[in-house]
Amino acid sequence: MKSTSLLERLDPRTKIISFLSVIFCMVLTPITRIRDFGLYFLLILAIGFCSRITPRQILRKMCIAIPFVLFIAMFVPFLKEGTVFCSLKISHWKFDVTYEGILTFLNIIVKSTLSVFLLAIATATTPFPDFLKGLDMLRAPRLLVMLMSFMYRYIFVLIEEARRLMRARSLRYFGSRRGELFRTTGYMVGTLFIRTYERAERIYSAMILRGFSGEALSVKRFRISALDILFMAGIIVSLVCIISGIVNKIERAKASGAHLWQGL
Amino acid sequence: MAGIIKVSHLQYHYPDGTVGLNDVSFEVQEGETMVILGANGTGKSTLFMNLMGVLDGVGSVEIMGMPLYKANLKEIRRGMGMVFQNPDDQLFCPTVMDDVSFGPLNQGQSPDQVIDAAQKALALVDLQGYESRTPHHLSFGERKRAAIATVLSMNPSILLLDEPTSGLDPRSVSKFINILYTLKSQGKTLLIVTHDLFLTQEIADRVLVFSEEKKPVAIGNYKEILSNHDLLLKNNLIHQHRHRHDEVVHEHEHRHGYVHEH
Repeated sequence: MKSTSLLERLDPRTKIISFLSVIFCMVLTPITRIRDFGLYFLLILAIGFCSRITPRQILRKMCIAIPFVLFIAMFVPFLKEGTVFCSLKISHWKFDVTYEGILTFLNIIVKSTLSVFLLAIATATTPFPDFLKGLDMLRAPRLLVMLMSFMYRYIFVLIEEARRLMRARSLRYFGSRRGELFRTTGYMVGTLFIRTYERAERIYSAMILRGFSGEALSVKRFRISALDILFMAGIIVSLVCIISGIVNKIERAKASGAHLWQGL
Repeated sequence: MAGIIKVSHLQYHYPDGTVGLNDVSFEVQEGETMVILGANGTGKSTLFMNLMGVLDGVGSVEIMGMPLYKANLKEIRRGMGMVFQNPDDQLFCPTVMDDVSFGPLNQGQSPDQVIDAAQKALALVDLQGYESRTPHHLSFGERKRAAIATVLSMNPSILLLDEPTSGLDPRSVSKFINILYTLKSQGKTLLIVTHDLFLTQEIADRVLVFSEEKKPVAIGNYKEILSNHDLLLKNNLIHQHRHRHDEVVHEHEHRHGYVHEH
């Protein structure tokens, strides 16, 4: 058996629950407690060290999602009303950047970056079929799980089909009026739709013929091990510590020179 | 020997009015391998869909002593499995294991039985160790074999195979023929739709020839049918064109998959 990292050995359910709770806590923490986010970062970093993925892999995965967030967050500082921090003047337009806007911007950026960081670790250590199984065992809506499973199975088949159509077009396309291009593109989309529709019918009959009656059953059962419980307990304890602001209290206690327990 | 599949005067029209099957009657004996030969678009696959009860034609079909009615469909599909031509239609789960265990799970077998059945089926098609692979990452030949395994895991006594060797390279074809031999020796009834005469010669007990009028025109022992050149030529199963043998140019029929002497 090949050696696997701690994260890969965990039950997908453990990962879903603990990662979701980290994200949940993080999202509910007000941005003004900026020190807490440093702690969240350390926690996620620690989770990352439980896997064998390289920082490069994680960064590459994060690069896919971050631009979307940036694009959305970019305009926030200008739109939020409040005390003006500074203003930009472009010809006769004036844009006010407000303190509140900057805070919201930071809020979005910090939280989403940390969440994407965690998700990058999660996806790198969990095969998608296992993740689906975990969701199913956690009683996620079955229709949703099945939908995702079909998407995972057929997205590449579909992309290949589209690529074949596009190649066939480009081999016979010698440049013509723009209208012509739109027309052929329209035909291609239509063809793709019809082929997909027919494929769906064949797949459905293949399912029916093997006794499908509305329930997608699955056999590879996972088991929660001591390792899973330990991991989950570790995550929850760290979350509680962060939320209760225990670190702040300890520091304050240290500063005042009192005994540690008095600080608590 | 009892007729395990009995079809008489089966007709099918597609919703748009196109004739799918035109008065089809035949009988398959238990344990025999019948190859249904026919050119493209002669209704072979339509016949399979009718036998499985997916399409609903007019006429009478009896399978394993049960008439093909809605009430019997579940029982019939328990004993008769069909493998689609395109493995991408047959394999719809995220992993090979999910796909192979799909049938047995729906039949209500216990997890241990299901795993056992799935392992056996995968071993039969020589795909051990492929359990957690994604169908998309398999080669075409491997996907074809995985597709068969998804039906074998349900342990049916009748197997319908739609174009099992189409699109396969020679080595994959011979691997496939070995699998079919194994199934045959297990006493399974095989119904194979193809226009591959090589496969027919290798595996068939009897051959049913479909004409382009979407109905059977001949049935018989494989030697009888395969040596009837006129029949094969007329039904678009062999072709005839000019040949050059050094200096001699003449015209004669050409059988796919055969090395022929002159």
